[in-house]
Amino acid sequence: MAAILEKDIKAWLLEVVKADELNKKDVKKTGIHFEAIVPTSKIRDVAKEFLNQGYFLESLTAVDFAECFEAVYHFNHWKELRRGCVKILVTKEENKAPSISSIYKSANWFEREIYDMFGITFIDHPNLKRILLPESSTIHPLLKSFKGEPAGSDVEQCLKLINEDKEGFEILYPQSVTHHQKDYYLNLGPQHPSTHGVLRILLHLAGERVLDGEPILGYSHRHHEKMMEIQSYLACWPNMGRLDYVGAMSYNFAYAILIEKAMGIAPASPRVEYIRVLTTELNRITSHLLWMGTFLLDLGAFTPFFYGFDDREKILDILEMATGERLTYDYFRFGGLDKDIPAEMIPAIKEFIPHFKKRLKDYDALITKNIIFKKRTRNLGYLTKENALAYGVTGPCLRATGVPMDLRRHEPYSIYPELDFEIVTATDGDAYSRYLVRMKEIEESLKIIQQVIEKMPEGATILGKLPKNVPKGEYYTAVEAARGSFGMYLVSDGTLNPYRLKLRTPSFSNLNSIIEILPGCLVSDVVAVLGSIDIVLPEIDR
Amino acid sequence: MEINPANPLDTQTPPPGLVNLFRVEDVLNLARANSLWPLTFGLACCAIELMAGGASRFDLDRFGAGVFRPSPRQADLMIVAGTISRKMVPCIKTLYDQMPSPKYVIALGGCATGGGPFKYPGQYGILEGMDKIIPVNVYIPGCPPRPEALIAGILELQKQILSGKTQGKMSPAVMHDSQDNRPAEYKNAISRVEFRRPPALPTPPVSPTPSQG
Amino acid sequence: MTLGPFWQEVVKIVLWGTFAVLFVSVNALFLVWMERRVSAKIQLRRGPIHVGPQGLLQTIADAVKLISKELVFPSQVDKLVYYVAPLLVFAPVLSAFIILPLGPGIILRDLNIGFLLIFSLTNISFIGIFIAGWSSNNKYALLGSMRAVAQNISYEIPLLLSTMGVVMIAGSMKMTEIVTAQSGLWFVLTQPLAFLIFFCASLAEANRAPFDIPEAESELVAGFHTEYSGMRFALFFLGEYTAIFISSAIAATLFLGGWHGPFLESLPAVAGPFWLILKTYALVFVVMWVRWTFPRLRSDQLMAFAWKILIPFALLNVLSTALVLSLCK
Repeated sequence: MAAILEKDIKAWLLEVVKADELNKKDVKKTGIHFEAIVPTSKIRDVAKEFLNQGYFLESLTAVDFAECFEAVYHFNHWKELRRGCVKILVTKEENKAPSISSIYKSANWFEREIYDMFGITFIDHPNLKRILLPESSTIHPLLKSFKGEPAGSDVEQCLKLINEDKEGFEILYPQSVTHHQKDYYLNLGPQHPSTHGVLRILLHLAGERVLDGEPILGYSHRHHEKMMEIQSYLACWPNMGRLDYVGAMSYNFAYAILIEKAMGIAPASPRVEYIRVLTTELNRITSHLLWMGTFLLDLGAFTPFFYGFDDREKILDILEMATGERLTYDYFRFGGLDKDIPAEMIPAIKEFIPHFKKRLKDYDALITKNIIFKKRTRNLGYLTKENALAYGVTGPCLRATGVPMDLRRHEPYSIYPELDFEIVTATDGDAYSRYLVRMKEIEESLKIIQQVIEKMPEGATILGKLPKNVPKGEYYTAVEAARGSFGMYLVSDGTLNPYRLKLRTPSFSNLNSIIEILPGCLVSDVVAVLGSIDIVLPEIDR
Repeated sequence: MEINPANPLDTQTPPPGLVNLFRVEDVLNLARANSLWPLTFGLACCAIELMAGGASRFDLDRFGAGVFRPSPRQADLMIVAGTISRKMVPCIKTLYDQMPSPKYVIALGGCATGGGPFKYPGQYGILEGMDKIIPVNVYIPGCPPRPEALIAGILELQKQILSGKTQGKMSPAVMHDSQDNRPAEYKNAISRVEFRRPPALPTPPVSPTPSQG
Repeated sequence: MTLGPFWQEVVKIVLWGTFAVLFVSVNALFLVWMERRVSAKIQLRRGPIHVGPQGLLQTIADAVKLISKELVFPSQVDKLVYYVAPLLVFAPVLSAFIILPLGPGIILRDLNIGFLLIFSLTNISFIGIFIAGWSSNNKYALLGSMRAVAQNISYEIPLLLSTMGVVMIAGSMKMTEIVTAQSGLWFVLTQPLAFLIFFCASLAEANRAPFDIPEAESELVAGFHTEYSGMRFALFFLGEYTAIFISSAIAATLFLGGWHGPFLESLPAVAGPFWLILKTYALVFVVMWVRWTFPRLRSDQLMAFAWKILIPFALLNVLSTALVLSLCK
């Protein structure tokens, strides 16, 4: 099926669009089925055709070469893995490209990020302004000609920003006699108990009803992508742990698979795969428990937070036995792990599982069946399947709308094909369904953990000899993180450092969809909806 | 709040001297040390350890520091937990100014102490340490520090309050580095044509000439 | 030297006033400690244990710290209103001590209108909440105070309607007569629906979870008292905890038999207050238990709950009580 449709698309690209180049690629090594370079003026037609065929825009980024920029579009289908890469060349003198944000809604934010990082303007973009750096910033950091800021510039720039903030601050009375208006603007964040980090949402309200909500990002921008361009591959491991610190194992997993595929090495033994899956699934449970606690804290129930954290601490003890870390893991290495798991880890897991299953029943009684909780979350934050795919939403948010896309089955990696677990979906796309999907996913992860413990073989966990460098080329990998599909696009020039490493993080696209959900909500609903989407800010802002 | 002309960034007001007796100040410090109300202010990964510190296993409420207030007007301890990006600094400064005195700052984690793992030569996005903008009382290193370390930091702050030495430290800002000594890892852009050229096929091994006779 | 009746009244009022203020302060300190320990127990942790024996001095430390805080006056607030609001919130709750019967004969003024006086006076504290948010020049505070106004108006009606059944059975609004009418059977057994409605409505009147939308911490930063610091914030806190105590005390008097108790009736001066305080604190514990269990209702769901559920059931209760009483006559 995939082969036929690919042939159609490929034939269409060659004939109708007159692609300049079309190469077939080895999906096992590079992650894409084909790569097409199309003329810049034809990109909108290409996007329309992909949309008609049911593809969604997975990632859109740019790469800075000496002669020109390459804008790289990755399209994928939700039914099965049909990833294709389309590129356009943007000359440095012209520095412009057509925008596809009218066709794919997710392109809006991707293009703003490219403008922010590279300076490429997109024609007909409705709102082309910076997204990650401050509005008054003048740099385009991911250009190769940008060699960083001098030391001491941080204080200088911050003082400048403080002054700009003071000058732009306007004071208005709410009951001012001369200034009657029905609607007003309210800033939710960046410091707010419920924004899960430093997110700012500019709400346009009429009374308590939201007319419009605009997320403003960048308050947690930690320049991962630029940093990784000047570090060696091994030094990038701590970055992987700090992107989504709550579910960091999946990010380790993605990086390990990417570089192993690129270098053409296999893990040291099957034991490595089993341990990787075990720790990843344990981490997924801790991530969902933390989400559950904070979601209910947003709704006003204080107690499930403490119970969730109590269970989470027990799992963190188990993971600490193996990795030595509680939160920002960098346990995986290329071809293996940092060290083997200790002998007491598996008995500890076996002791933990029955206790946790009892707790899950407690959560069911306390929360799932609670009438106030149902009233707050049912029919709230409804996300349709079309909107979800248009914004590139993945993970439990997408599965709650009914689309059964889970990368552990969609694009299988490691030993997941041999394990028995279901893809959890729900039919309404509301906040309650997202809650149910995540709670059921905890049970599925427990199932996986039990199978892994039984089948765990013996073997080596450290690969002795590694190739010197990652060979020249482009590679794409995606794994199922707790929040959705985490993709990494690597352009390697064969040297010690990556040339360009793009991180396609799930929360970036998931948060994008909130623009559709917010109008019509009340202020109380805004925090509930934001909580149900489950975002982690540093992976949005990278 | 008076502006100190020697250091305009310092907004710490000394509490009004009702009675400048040594004893009253002692009692007030005892009360302040045992009733620290933190501001809910998590920026990045260390925020999770802050939440874990308030949760049931590590329980900051035992020391009186468990009442997390969301409004800066009602909090007296700002625990800066996480990396400080430059876009966020005006918000932090506003929040610090809104807190009534006496107020204290704990820098939790490597990033708030001095940039942490995100400090590299030529970095453009973060502020290397909170003490460059606001005075910090206690630094807690770690990436992220364990909740036990956070409790140790709060106990250290309590000791500081009881002794009366709560003037925080500010680090001297580094001036502009006029020399461009950024490392060689900043590569120049490579040629796209060269990049896409397929690798040369390995030359076939030269077959040995058949020996005569 | 005996004092004239006028001066005797003056002494009595002064003593009661002093007692009320002292009691309210000590009670608020105790209740805050109780809340923190009860919530800690429910949440699998310890709560304040280091400050004083069992952490009992924790609230004193909080209070002293709040007194010694800098009093911030935001520059653009409405000054007089901002200054007066916390006082308006805290002062009326002391009025409840006028009509609260602590024991047989131990009451300051046995007024004909009884508890109606308290509910009228506590509405002044709602005006205080409203003007606190209004004067703060802060959108979050404004949203919080608007919600508080809507909530108060909606829940005042079922609060009073549910007590009408009690008044009908007792035959008067005087607190002493209501307590005497319960010497046989407590009203909670003859008017269970009224008790539940009264309990829910008094939770809402005191802005306690699940009805705490005016100060919804996770939504509105800190609701109507976002801009208040130091002692002013402490007054809001004090007012809230005293309101919980007062509504529990009135619920105990109206429904749970007041100062009646199973034994110790031979020492009425000691037994009366003892039983009343015990019943009140039992209800306060239930109030705290409810807070830490349930999530918060949304503001429109809250109004719907009052208007579509509580008021019809309260009316039904009044009608059925009237029917039963007329049939029994």
